[in-house]
Order: sequence, then C-alpha cells, then structure tokens
Amino acid sequence: MSRVLTIANMAFTETVRDKILYSILVFALAMIGSSTILVTLSVGGEGRIVKDLGLACITLFGLFIAVFIGINLVSREIERRTIFSLLSKPVRRAEFLVGKFLGLGLTLAVNIGVMAAGLLVLAWVLEDHWTPRILLGVGFTFLELLILTATAILFSTFSTPTLSAIYTLLVFVIGRLSADLMTFAAQFGGASLKATAVGLYYLLPNLSRFNLSGAVVNDLPLDSGTLALTAIYGTLYAAGILSIAIAVFQRRDFR
Amino acid sequence: MSGSGRLNARPPARFSPQRLTQVVALGIAGVALAGALVVSRGLQARAVTRTEAPQAVFFPRAEILRPALLGFTGLAADLTWIRTVQYFGSRIEGQERFPQLYQFVDLATSLDPYFLDAYQYGGLFLTIARQYPNAIAIYRKGIAANPLSWQLPHDLGRLYFLELQDYPQALHWWEVTDRLPGRPHYIPRFLIRLQAKIGHLETALELWQQMYQQSDNEAIREIARREIRNLQQQMRKPQAADPNR
Repeated sequence: MSRVLTIANMAFTETVRDKILYSILVFALAMIGSSTILVTLSVGGEGRIVKDLGLACITLFGLFIAVFIGINLVSREIERRTIFSLLSKPVRRAEFLVGKFLGLGLTLAVNIGVMAAGLLVLAWVLEDHWTPRILLGVGFTFLELLILTATAILFSTFSTPTLSAIYTLLVFVIGRLSADLMTFAAQFGGASLKATAVGLYYLLPNLSRFNLSGAVVNDLPLDSGTLALTAIYGTLYAAGILSIAIAVFQRRDFR
Repeated sequence: MSGSGRLNARPPARFSPQRLTQVVALGIAGVALAGALVVSRGLQARAVTRTEAPQAVFFPRAEILRPALLGFTGLAADLTWIRTVQYFGSRIEGQERFPQLYQFVDLATSLDPYFLDAYQYGGLFLTIARQYPNAIAIYRKGIAANPLSWQLPHDLGRLYFLELQDYPQALHWWEVTDRLPGRPHYIPRFLIRLQAKIGHLETALELWQQMYQQSDNEAIREIARREIRNLQQQMRKPQAADPNR
C-alpha cells in the first residue's frame, strides 16, 4: 500500500508541475467568471446561468485534465524508459497503475475543488446566499471524471497518446448518449437490434447518471437512495476499467 | 572569456545576412499589420453603413437537439433564453413585431422544462407582444411541468384578469395558486373580490404594483409604472363612470 501511495504522490507531483494544467485551470476560472457578463444580458435566471455555465466548465475542463494528462501518465514513462528502473524495483505493475490513477485523481480533486470554490463564491455574490448543492453536482462530476481517467489509463496501456485521447473523448460522448440508446431501442428496429442496444446500454458507462446540473440549478428534489447507488455504480465502473487496464498492462512487452 | 572578447572587439557587420533577414521580416510585419488595420477599418465602415436585415432563425426541435448537447441542456436553455431576451429587447425598442418570439421561448422551456424564469418572463414578453394564445400555451406548459410552482398559475390568472378581462378564468387560476405552497399573501383578497365581482380596478392596481416591486428589469418596471398611472387616473374618476364596479 505504501508503494502505491508513493507512486500516487510522485504522479501528483509530476502532474502539478505540468504547465498545461495551470493553463486549463486559469482558462476554466476565466470562463466561470465570464458568466457574470452573460448574466447582464438576461432578464431572470441570473443565478442558474452562473451555475449552469460553472458546472459545464468544471465537467469540460476536468475532462481535458483527465484525458490530456491521463494519456501521458503511462506512455511518458515508457517513452523516457523510466518504467524499467521503476519496475526493476519491488513494484508490481498493478501497483504502478493504481498509484498513477490515484495521483491523477488527487490532481483532479484539487483542480475541481478550486473551480468549485470559484463557482460557489460567484453564486453567493449573485444570489446573496450559499448554494451548497453545487458541491453535490461537483462531487458526481468528479466520479464521472474518475471513470474517464481510468479509461484514459486503459487506452494508454496499449495505444499511442493521440489515439488514447480520441478513444477517451469518444467514450465520454458515448457515455453521455448511452441513456438515449434505450429510447432509440424502444422506437426503432427489431428484436436483435433492441437486444444489441440494451446490451450496449449496460456495457457502456452511463455518464448521464452523474450529471446533476439540472437538479442543482432548478433546486429539484434528489433521491438519496438513487444518489448512493449512482456513487456505487461510478466507483465499481472505475474499478472495473482500472482492473482491465492492469490486466492489459501485465501482458505489455516493453522491448 | 578571451574568445568572447575577440568577438566583441570585431566591428559588427552592418548588413550581415541575419541582420538583413531581421530587417526584412520586421518590414513585412509592419506593412502587413498596417494593411490589416486599413482593411479592418474598411470592414468596420461597411458594417456601419449596411442596413441590418431582419434574420429569421432556424429552430431545431428540442427532442432532436437534446442528444447532440451531451447533457448540457441546461446551459443550452440558458443561452437560448439570453438570445430570447436580446430578440425581444431589440425589437421592442424598434416598435417591431415578434414573429419568432414564441419559438424562442418554446425552445428554451423545452430544453429545460424546469426553467421557471423562462416561463414567467417568456409569458410576460408574449403578453406584451399581444400574443395571448401563445402566452397562455407557455404558462400552461410550465404549469404541467412544474405543478407545485405558484408563480405560473398566478401569472396566467393575471393575464386573464388584466389583458383578456376573463374573470372566471382568472378566478380559476388564482384558486389554483391559492392551493400551492408559498403563494403571495394577497391571493385570498383577490379571490374574495373576484367572487364578489367587485374592486377590479383595485386588484389590477395591486397586480401592477406587485410587478413593479418584484421586477429588476427597467423595461418591465416602466410598463408597470405606466399602467399604475393609468389605473390611478381611472380611479380618481367618479365611481359611477367605472364600468368594472
């Protein structure tokens, strides 16, 4: 466990030194701040515009961090050949991958935390009261991003960084659309097409479950049981993807 | 150190190839940027002199648009709503008609059926544009999607009362409002007046005063101010001349 934490710490230190991270963070905060300009163009809905734009920024910029840093975590070690010195020590490949995942997870948590703090303050300034529900929306976005981080790591264990980025972004798109698969299955096609659509629905990550922005901005009631199950689903799915990544990485030949 | 000393001691060549390239590059940059500035000014002048033709906006159906938005439907509804406000604001200043106002409001509220402000202000904009059936359709759509929000039946009752003078319908929608949590304190008073078929001018005045106090928007406050002034003038006239009594 201590080896995993050491690698996680190293991965965290490595990622926070990455200049792209700061560019993304500054750009995200600027985008969240720019919602105050949009608000001046509207009549009504000022608070929700800030929250909607803020939560969308957190999702999109968190996605960029997860993808563009996640794809390089493993490939960079292979490219620089530092993986040989790492794996020659008593470190298992599984520990290496889990450590990398936790390190990037921590980086994501810190970045999302900064963006969420900015959004909370902005919403408070506009609405004159705290809206802690934003944190719930951000928490579930973090779970969604953990699944995508695991996916980026999985692809980076057997593919090039460019292809890994494309595949991970595609998983995000498919994951956000997977809820519609059921609708399409119900409306079109025969039994085999329906079965395929339903199979794909359960196989692919249903990322729309983690999108609570509608409920957060409109102050709609949320079922705690559904939230708990969604959190368990996200944790299990990320663990499953990371386990596949470990299985692939075990068979990887670095020569 | 001695090497660099020798280099420094050598007199600099005035037109070395590197120096020449640098000068030419800076010259091209200066000419290109000055040209861009001239063209930009020309474009700006054309934009000012060209008369703005009204642009028809294509409205995709929300159910088709929704999957393409990848879950960012709330944000899309917000942006549509901002566009609606700009459309309404630009046309009301020019005293123009609002042929696409309903489509704007309908799209914003279809993308996010819980967007209360879009129903409320959208219904009000449609009322100001005298598109009463469309305003009623928006309020009814909002009431169906948000059955526990008192604001929408309240505003629909106000539309029936102030604009259409359909008092039975106004009574019905304020009765609905009265049953909902958080409804304003004046609703029972309105119901009593409507049931007794008295005091319509006082009710109208109170409604416009509420709108004046609650709205942050100067255009809406101005409309309310004008209506309050008209009603106060009517109320100063002898009661016998008041047809509502």
